[in-house]
Amino acid sequence: MSDSDKSSRRVAKPVSDVLSNRQLIVVNPLYTLSILALLSLLWLLLTGEDWSSWLVGLPVVILATWSILLLRAPTEGRFNLMGFFRFLPYFIWESVLGGIDVASRVVGPKMRIAPGFLSYQMRLSHPSARRLFVNSLSLLPGTLAADLDGDTLQIHALDRAIDPDAELKRLEQMVSAVYGEDL
Amino acid sequence: MLDLLALLLIFSGISFFFLGAIGLLRLPDLHARLHALTKADNLGLGLLIVGVALLHGSLLMAMKLLLIWLLALLASAASAHLISQYALRRNRS
Repeated sequence: MSDSDKSSRRVAKPVSDVLSNRQLIVVNPLYTLSILALLSLLWLLLTGEDWSSWLVGLPVVILATWSILLLRAPTEGRFNLMGFFRFLPYFIWESVLGGIDVASRVVGPKMRIAPGFLSYQMRLSHPSARRLFVNSLSLLPGTLAADLDGDTLQIHALDRAIDPDAELKRLEQMVSAVYGEDL
Repeated sequence: MLDLLALLLIFSGISFFFLGAIGLLRLPDLHARLHALTKADNLGLGLLIVGVALLHGSLLMAMKLLLIWLLALLASAASAHLISQYALRRNRS
């Protein structure tokens, strides 16, 4: 997500260097197949029901899958589909609440806000899990990810009277289940 | 009946965009304004997309709209984070 976060964890290397030191990770055929299926679906969505487009689409999908497998960092967490399907309805519901919350606060003659900052100690360690957490946190009611420095997350709250700690812990738990990480 | 529901969803989506714009104008500082931009617009676009998908009535189109919503979510969350981070760090130095 943030630049400093990335640079402190992974130093950028030239592409040729990365490619020559990587082996294709095809240990999990299910993973490969699901990426193939996902990219095929993406092509289908972009081109509609124009079947001749697959003349270009099929090679592109295969090459894209190959590059994903090649560039995937070995330290990334394992994506857990069950965890994702538990996370999705929670995320949608919370973002509906978030929208209603902020909209109801700004209408009326006097706005009901008491903005301020607070910090949160993040326990997630996988980069993808942290990205998902920081990004979805901004869509939850009343909280906005303002800055990330190591494990300390600066959060801007629209109303400091409400302590978001329990809500953040819950979100972190949900995200950790998506990437199969133990907190 | 379905059309009516779709129009209702589209209309409420537009209302959230409107409320988000009100928030942008009324809220006192940069960070508070980002709240209005990310959350109200995200919900507004979501409702709008569900409405349009119902009107169109094809699964392929619905999934394409969903993809658009996901990309917009990603863009708004990421840019809000970058803007607030930049503002904080500039104030500190």
